[in-house]
Amino acid sequence: MSVTTPGLAEGVTEQINREAVEALAAEEPGWLRERRLEAWSVYESTPIPSKKLEEWRYTDLSKKLSLDELSLLPWAERQFSEANAPSELRSAMASDRAASGHLVELDGSVARVDLQDELASKGVLLTSIRSAVQSHPDLVEELLATEAVPAESGKFQALNAALWTDGILLHVPRGVRMELPIRVSRWISEAGRALFSRTLIVADEGSRVSFVDEVLSPDFTRQTFVSSAVEVFARNGAQVQFVSLQRLGRGAFHLSQQRTLADNDSTLDTLNVSLGGSVARIDLNAELRGAGANSDMLGLYFGEEDQHFDHNTRQDHRAPHTKSDLLYKGALDGRARAVFRGIIKVHRGAQQTDAYQTNRNLLLSNEARADSLPNLEIEADDVRCSHGATVGQLDQDHLFYLMSRGLPRAQAERLVVMGFLGEVLSRLPLGGVVEKVSSIIEDRLRA
Amino acid sequence: MSEIPILEVKNLHAKVADEDTEILRGVDLTLAKGEIHAIMGPNGSGKSTLAKIVAGHPAYEPTEGQVRYLGQDVLELDPDERARLGIFLAFQYPVEIPGVSIANFMRTAMQAHLDEGEELDLFDFQDQLLERMELLDMDPSFAERHVNDGFSGGEKKRNEILQMAVLRPKLAVMDETDSGLDIDALQVVANGVKKLHAEDPEMTVLIITHYQRLLNYIQPDHVHVMVGGRIVRSGGPELAEELETEGYEQFRAPA
Repeated sequence: MSVTTPGLAEGVTEQINREAVEALAAEEPGWLRERRLEAWSVYESTPIPSKKLEEWRYTDLSKKLSLDELSLLPWAERQFSEANAPSELRSAMASDRAASGHLVELDGSVARVDLQDELASKGVLLTSIRSAVQSHPDLVEELLATEAVPAESGKFQALNAALWTDGILLHVPRGVRMELPIRVSRWISEAGRALFSRTLIVADEGSRVSFVDEVLSPDFTRQTFVSSAVEVFARNGAQVQFVSLQRLGRGAFHLSQQRTLADNDSTLDTLNVSLGGSVARIDLNAELRGAGANSDMLGLYFGEEDQHFDHNTRQDHRAPHTKSDLLYKGALDGRARAVFRGIIKVHRGAQQTDAYQTNRNLLLSNEARADSLPNLEIEADDVRCSHGATVGQLDQDHLFYLMSRGLPRAQAERLVVMGFLGEVLSRLPLGGVVEKVSSIIEDRLRA
Repeated sequence: MSEIPILEVKNLHAKVADEDTEILRGVDLTLAKGEIHAIMGPNGSGKSTLAKIVAGHPAYEPTEGQVRYLGQDVLELDPDERARLGIFLAFQYPVEIPGVSIANFMRTAMQAHLDEGEELDLFDFQDQLLERMELLDMDPSFAERHVNDGFSGGEKKRNEILQMAVLRPKLAVMDETDSGLDIDALQVVANGVKKLHAEDPEMTVLIITHYQRLLNYIQPDHVHVMVGGRIVRSGGPELAEELETEGYEQFRAPA
């Protein structure tokens, strides 16, 4: 019989502990301090998910994550100037000129926010969460880590809720329709750290917004843990696109825990692109809770060497006439590994629901591996659902066909991979994103 | 003094890589520039293997002999290098490439045929592609479709002919292009090949087929019969007719 010794709860370390939460909350309003400490209690009392749990079967945290070796990075006043920005960040931002607004976060602290004056005058709010705690306490208190990604969702959701240092708040008021996306660039430079950031997007009735979050870092020689909690609300009739572009360096462990909540007749689409990091885990829970809500859920990943991607998705239909369509595609080279586990859940009463789920993998080497586990759980009787998964090889016949037309092998491979992945990007043709992602993958295939 | 043959196969032996059984057991074949040859033979005779070896398919391993293209031994060359020298294989089973349009594929292939540092003029390419499609009576929208993705058998073969028209090879090997086609599709494909040959009489064509019917539309200069991995007989177009009535039985070697 095993007993957890009090005070030695799993994942509590010399750096990551209650004192750290208390220090962080020292100057904060009471409700927030309380919320952090409650989250910490959930963290302490929740074991680290083991491989025995279906959701973590293919990602062994006892091997992949070394919490003991991580130190926290406190919030700090940081200035962003393009001239002094690292070249990777600068070139990432160079193609982001067309935007309604920009936000730059450096090592877990928001360093710059720009928003078009016209939008600001219409009441659009783009700000750091830390400053919103002071400037817009009601909104933050109501929606931060409460409905969407509360501490109770799990061990790491609790950890983020206890230890977040900063993040992004975007609030689009009723009826405001933004033509150009909001672009967020997050840069992480410190190795050996654990960073906790949050994103909260609220699109009020009839509004429209696209949000592109790009997270980058250099390669790290020590593990660096990047935790992102993403909460997206689409109120009645709102149209929201959320794009996450993960381009962390090797050594990074990225954990992105996302929940999207779609009200009546809203459209809430997501695209998760995983290109970087050593380990990248995405938990995406898309809840269609209003009648007529619609979510396209797109995912794209390209792995090489020993990269490990784990996608855990849920299409949660709670209202009638809702539709979700998921397509995750990835190509894997080297010894890279991808896991896709997706569930479609149609609750009783969510009649006339359409829910589709497709995961396709293309293996470019004999040592790459993909595991795909689509799943359906349907309690309503008038629904249209389908799911499918494939794992295919880039085979000799494909290459021979292309090479027989004069294409050198490497170019033939590039063409097949780009064609394969292009299907995902063509479904969410957001300005700049398609070109950026395509050119990153092409460059990596060229290397 | 005679011209260097476009293709000269000498005592070619070959097997499937990783296997022991010989498929080609001493093939000799010479094609002069501009000629149309047909190799006919029953299933398993090795005729498709010969086509794939000429184009450089990695699944087949030549064990003895030579394949010379314009005097150069090409067996050590990669398939793309052979293609850039002017060898083209029309596939029996063209491969599907989802997400890649025919236009994009052909543009990439044309670029690959240029010397290093040379850039394909995109407008020029577009004009050429349209002109080639017009020649073959194809709708321009065809080039926007993804390569062979969801194509019918006939469309796949037409796509092969279009690629051949765009790349303008010196030697076109047609591997059972007629298989699985109805008579209308067969005519379309045959007419395409005929037009291309009329346009460039120096283009050499090697037709690999089981049946005579394609040869009703494209008259070969020479017909070869392949059985058991060897050319067992060569003759003029009348040989194809003879095979049609009498079959391959007469050539089967006694056990």
